[in-house]
Amino acid sequence: MTALEQPSQPAIRRFPIRPALLVPVAAVGFAALVGLALIASIGVSVPDAIAAFVDGTIGSPYAVAASINRSVAFALVGFGFVLANRANLTNVGGEGQIAVGGIAATAVALYGHVSALPLGLAFILPMLAAVAAGAAWGAIAAVMRVKAGTNEVISTLLLSFIGVWLLYWCVQSPLLLRKPMTSSATLPESLEISDETKLPLLTGDYSFPLHIGLPLTIVIAVVVAVLLSKTELGLRLRAVGLNPVAANRAGMSYARTVIFALASAGALGGLAGALMLLGEQYTLKDGFSSGYGFDGLVAGLLARGSVTGVAAAALLFGFMRSGGINMEMVAAVPTALVVVIQGLIVITLAGATLFIEKWERK
Amino acid sequence: MDSTSNPTATSAEPLLSLQAITKRFGSFTALSDVSLDIRPGEIHCILGENGAGKSTLCNLIFGVHRPDGGAMRYRGAPFHPAGPADALAQGIAMVHQHFSLVSDMTVVDNVLLGRERGILKRHDCAEQLEKLAVEYGLPLDPYAKIEDLSVGERQRVEIVKCLIRSPSLFVLDEPTAVLLPDEITALLDVCRRVASSGRAVVLVTHKLAEIKKIADRVTVLRGGRVVATSSTPAADIDALVRAMIQGNVDTLDSSAASMIGLKPEKAARRDREARTRSEALQIDGLTVRDYQGAMRLDNFTLTVDRGEIVGVAGVEGNGQSELTAVLAGMMTPAGGHVYLGDLELTNSSPKQITAAGVGIVPEDRHAVGCITGMSLAENIYLNRLDEFTRYGFLRRGELENEAAAMMERFDVRARGPGVLFSSLSGGNQQKAVLAREITLPNLTCLVAAQPTRGLDVGAVAAVYGHIRAACERGIAILLVSSELDELLSVADRIVVLYRGRIMGSCAADPAQREAIGAMMAGQAQ
Amino acid sequence: MTWELFAVFLGSSIRLATPLLLAGIGEMVSERAGVLNMSIEGMMLTSAFAAAVGSWATGDPLLGLLIGIIAAQPVALLQAVLSNTLRANQIVSGIGINILVLGATTLAYREIFGARSRAEIPGLAKIKPPLLGDIPVIGPAVFEQVWLLYFGIALIVITALVLRYTSIGIAIHAAGAEPKAVDKSGLSVTRIRYGCVLFAGFMASLSGAFLSIGDIHTFTEGMTRGAGYLAIAYVIFGKWRIGGTTLACLLFGAATALQFQLPALGIAIPNALLIMLPYLLALLAVGGLVGRQMAPATLGEPYRR
Repeated sequence: MTALEQPSQPAIRRFPIRPALLVPVAAVGFAALVGLALIASIGVSVPDAIAAFVDGTIGSPYAVAASINRSVAFALVGFGFVLANRANLTNVGGEGQIAVGGIAATAVALYGHVSALPLGLAFILPMLAAVAAGAAWGAIAAVMRVKAGTNEVISTLLLSFIGVWLLYWCVQSPLLLRKPMTSSATLPESLEISDETKLPLLTGDYSFPLHIGLPLTIVIAVVVAVLLSKTELGLRLRAVGLNPVAANRAGMSYARTVIFALASAGALGGLAGALMLLGEQYTLKDGFSSGYGFDGLVAGLLARGSVTGVAAAALLFGFMRSGGINMEMVAAVPTALVVVIQGLIVITLAGATLFIEKWERK
Repeated sequence: MDSTSNPTATSAEPLLSLQAITKRFGSFTALSDVSLDIRPGEIHCILGENGAGKSTLCNLIFGVHRPDGGAMRYRGAPFHPAGPADALAQGIAMVHQHFSLVSDMTVVDNVLLGRERGILKRHDCAEQLEKLAVEYGLPLDPYAKIEDLSVGERQRVEIVKCLIRSPSLFVLDEPTAVLLPDEITALLDVCRRVASSGRAVVLVTHKLAEIKKIADRVTVLRGGRVVATSSTPAADIDALVRAMIQGNVDTLDSSAASMIGLKPEKAARRDREARTRSEALQIDGLTVRDYQGAMRLDNFTLTVDRGEIVGVAGVEGNGQSELTAVLAGMMTPAGGHVYLGDLELTNSSPKQITAAGVGIVPEDRHAVGCITGMSLAENIYLNRLDEFTRYGFLRRGELENEAAAMMERFDVRARGPGVLFSSLSGGNQQKAVLAREITLPNLTCLVAAQPTRGLDVGAVAAVYGHIRAACERGIAILLVSSELDELLSVADRIVVLYRGRIMGSCAADPAQREAIGAMMAGQAQ
Repeated sequence: MTWELFAVFLGSSIRLATPLLLAGIGEMVSERAGVLNMSIEGMMLTSAFAAAVGSWATGDPLLGLLIGIIAAQPVALLQAVLSNTLRANQIVSGIGINILVLGATTLAYREIFGARSRAEIPGLAKIKPPLLGDIPVIGPAVFEQVWLLYFGIALIVITALVLRYTSIGIAIHAAGAEPKAVDKSGLSVTRIRYGCVLFAGFMASLSGAFLSIGDIHTFTEGMTRGAGYLAIAYVIFGKWRIGGTTLACLLFGAATALQFQLPALGIAIPNALLIMLPYLLALLAVGGLVGRQMAPATLGEPYRR
């Protein structure tokens, strides 16, 4: 369905820094102000709320580590979004890709007989399984696009729902990943994964549980950035994104490029799911991916194609989420507020593209 | 039909008058200090080559754009149309170069669009259409779907859409580019009838034949300025041409001359030695169906020898696009074969076809030929990027240096190899695309579809210069064009395509014009 | 399976198909004019919430319905402004609106009702159409439905007639297929598209209100559960025609009704799979069965003169 393609961003080779940076910052600022106004309107004292927020973000080493771990997951989804978006493909299925990644990682960690393996394979193999699962999830949408022209927004979105319900099924069914039901009160979740399959922490200290996901993600960030700007593959993604017909005529395979783009995006989402499972949660639960997909998506949108932008936005959202959780626990501000702020950011940015374009043209 | 002075044209108050009009788009000045007036009952032709500013002028009159300087007066009062709705309401109707018809709606529905409110009275409209058909000679089936109509018929719908509003001013922008020779005559006849009924007709064109046939007065535009006018166009034709192209007719490249309708001096015949009897491109029984199963190419068979230029004539929409698409590897034929020498190319990918040595200059350079959002260098080497790739990394410096050399060789004018392709003019873009295809390392065959569409005289000459040079090197050239005069001046042999079938073929001799025209209209020889 | 069970199944299918059908037809009209509204989900949720709260606050479900309809219009207007005037990416802006609405309705619901209450909300009444409802055995089960459904059916019929036989109908078609033609005929593409988005918002508001005060007489956070996106998928499945879209939505209703029907028949399929079924169906629908060329040509592209 080529008719549903979004006109892609004009390929400006050197980004003037100022509008591309100023507008997202302004959008965030504006949304934050609205957020504060909402807090006041529900009768919560604003200073209390802000204190709870700050406490939740940087109030303790634990909070900082947790925030960074969250940011890492968002960043991976965001990188995937940016990569696919270079080829003018919009991946909205982050949540489902995280979910199937988590399922694969848990399955391999629990039942793949990997605990005894050396060299860290105990946690590497589950991660690879998650990457493969996410890649497959993305590839389904890619194949549909290539063969039937299906708009990938709808297909990745539907696949996301399916992935989330798949997760639900896995943790509900004792035949799948649900832990053995000892009583009717047994929660629908998996067993806890063994210590060998958990991701090693950078400091080994559980009060600062920052795991190896961070350095891994930094490496991935560099790889993606270099790929997009300096390689022939990056140029090919851009060519196919701008004009798939001309790119095809010039010998660039549309099918291969689309499959690479969406499978990579899915793979990164799957990896995010693995990091969340193997690095923090250790138990597969229903809804563990809830909201992470859209947060990563929003990070990708905010960044307007830049890898550093994704990193910055992901950090912002990671900390926001931690702060939001603490705000709910301590100051009785529902986490839905954070969702409202994110929605405002997206809308403001979407509406501002016209002005950014005019600004950049001058 | 030569242009005797129109008895109904009065020298009364002009209907439309433009005074010192200027229009800029960003830093580009499209029109500068243009003044002219249109009188009721006359056929006023605006002559100029591609890029002279004719379309911009029309858009200003129709309210699509607003002038940056100067003033317009219509019916004696200041005229500032806020948009097409405004212009239409005041009695100005325009037939555009690119039709604005909804393909899957019927003729009646297209005519009714924007004209009525509430429940549609399709039957009444159909009756009105039939009356107009008789009055102006525009036969149409009111309930036919646009997508089932030929290009000429679609233009009739556009004209009828205008006439049904009883306009006072009727503007046609390059209407004959898509018509068969017979249809051109019919169209000019319609213009004559419209003018006789007291309305004013503005005909925008770059073809001299039309000027000679029906123009009462002519205004010549060049580079956005008025450079000549005449009230006796037939007599002044040489002066008008000289004004249009700023040069002497004799120095004009023969193909460029043919493009504007001067009787082409057949170019000095090329060195026959380059042309051997060795077949380069062989197309055998090619059949193509579209996604709905309709036949677009029917058993198309053609051979092109090395050093030969074969022209495929025919109005657009008769299978030319499908032919080019199959040759480029973008479409799979339902049947038939394509051979390059001994190599079978049917069902090959574009990459394989390029590697085999077939260059394609596509008819729609923006859709297929280039990526406007990328740089000039990237576009020139779009199909050879792996030559600049080491270990996956692209060597930009090398790319841009080579591209700069190409720019020199092919006279592609731009600020540098790194600029955005979209910033180049149409002529330079086409030269770049041509450069890319013609410099393929093992080029054996070049397929060029509508290579000079929208180009000015200078660019046309450049393009054909390179094509002829390639031909002399022994490249087989397949030229697809709806401009018959162009083919007559450049090709050795012409085949005519109509509704996907070859109607006939003959030598590219101007004397064969009528026969070819008949074939283009579907009459087999 | 007995006739009674089948009747219940059919009745459930129709009931479950209704919200999708209402939203779907509205979105279909908007897409015909060239605007893709990813925010149908948000419009539905807004109306579901507003109708529930309105009905609870005033005690009158009809007033609740009106409040729901009114509340969804600003959301639709926002989408229209973003899509047409600001020429924003239609997908991004739609998803943004959905995120915003989800957060806002959740927040508001928590504030008004607290985290876990299921307040008693007066709901819309059902009606039994005279002849059809009296068919023995299957009549009541199949045809006794919330009156909003019948109202919706009437609207759909009117929409079909308007699209076919009126000037606005061909204008909508042209705006999506060839907006240049609309512009050059003197009409305003922008105005047509604005109108269609607002219409989609209106239909979505009926759909959302049906969900909360028509069907289950309560509001739960995020209760639309992706129904808006499914509506979009089913419009594609229906090839942007009313007949096709209706059929697709009925299929959705049937697939969802299976969740309750199969257990009643003693067939034990995991609940999760049954819940997944409509989404799978939608995926198959957009993946296999629709030709590329069917979509309105400029769907998703803002119009620039």
